[in-house]
Amino acid sequence: MSRSLKKPPFIHYKLASRVENTQAGGKKSVIKTWSRASTITPDFVGLTIAVHNGNKFIPVYVTENMVGHKLGEFSPTRTFRGHSGNRKDKKR
Amino acid sequence: MVISHDACYYLGYVSKAQGFKGGIIAFLDVDDPGAYRNLKSLLIDINGVLTPFFVETLNLKDKGFVHLKLEGLDDGATAARLANKELFLPLENLPELPEDEYYLHDLVGMKVEDAELGELGAVEKVMDYSANPMIQLFRDSAEVLIPLNDAFIDRVDKKNKIIFVSLPDGLIDLNQS
Repeated sequence: MSRSLKKPPFIHYKLASRVENTQAGGKKSVIKTWSRASTITPDFVGLTIAVHNGNKFIPVYVTENMVGHKLGEFSPTRTFRGHSGNRKDKKR
Repeated sequence: MVISHDACYYLGYVSKAQGFKGGIIAFLDVDDPGAYRNLKSLLIDINGVLTPFFVETLNLKDKGFVHLKLEGLDDGATAARLANKELFLPLENLPELPEDEYYLHDLVGMKVEDAELGELGAVEKVMDYSANPMIQLFRDSAEVLIPLNDAFIDRVDKKNKIIFVSLPDGLIDLNQS
């Protein structure tokens, strides 16, 4: 069941204040958080959030595509066993 | 002639057999499965040995899956034995990329140099999470994870094998105990 629309998205109050302070300060340092359930809002875009996965912090650079998702979605809790395949990435 | 894994790249894996005539469903772990529409042959890792197979037909399906019919594979039971086996192709099959592009597997072993801190170490692994790909390296035996993002990666010097990065405060000592 989805969250009631009359409620705002959940963001842990400490994380919300840190995001606000970092955006206001202009210096984009990494914000550590254990709150995997917090929703990414447009205020987060451009920040680097280190999301704890139960073992270590995973740095997540927030982009516009991530808005509306939870932070935990970008910090996997299982050991990575994949390949890098022939996937390529663009760079300037 | 035995082909080593070092001379190949990982293409995907066999998902399951399909039908009674030796067809298989395979997943191609690549950016564009459509680029492999005219694949003539591939290698399957069978008990650590890369065994070449000729491709009779290849039909694209959804989400990176393809239906393959391989030469000499004519019954369902033999095809079923290939389930979960990994597919490879020789590295020379990969097209040369322009200067501003790179393959993720090329990053492994490259030195990472930060604009402020200097050399950080060599890339140990590329973690290809679809939403947040990262490179992993170790600095003073502590793990450092760097998201593969334009915001952090200034330039990749493929010739000298150096990745130039500009990291925000606190990223380096994130997981230092």
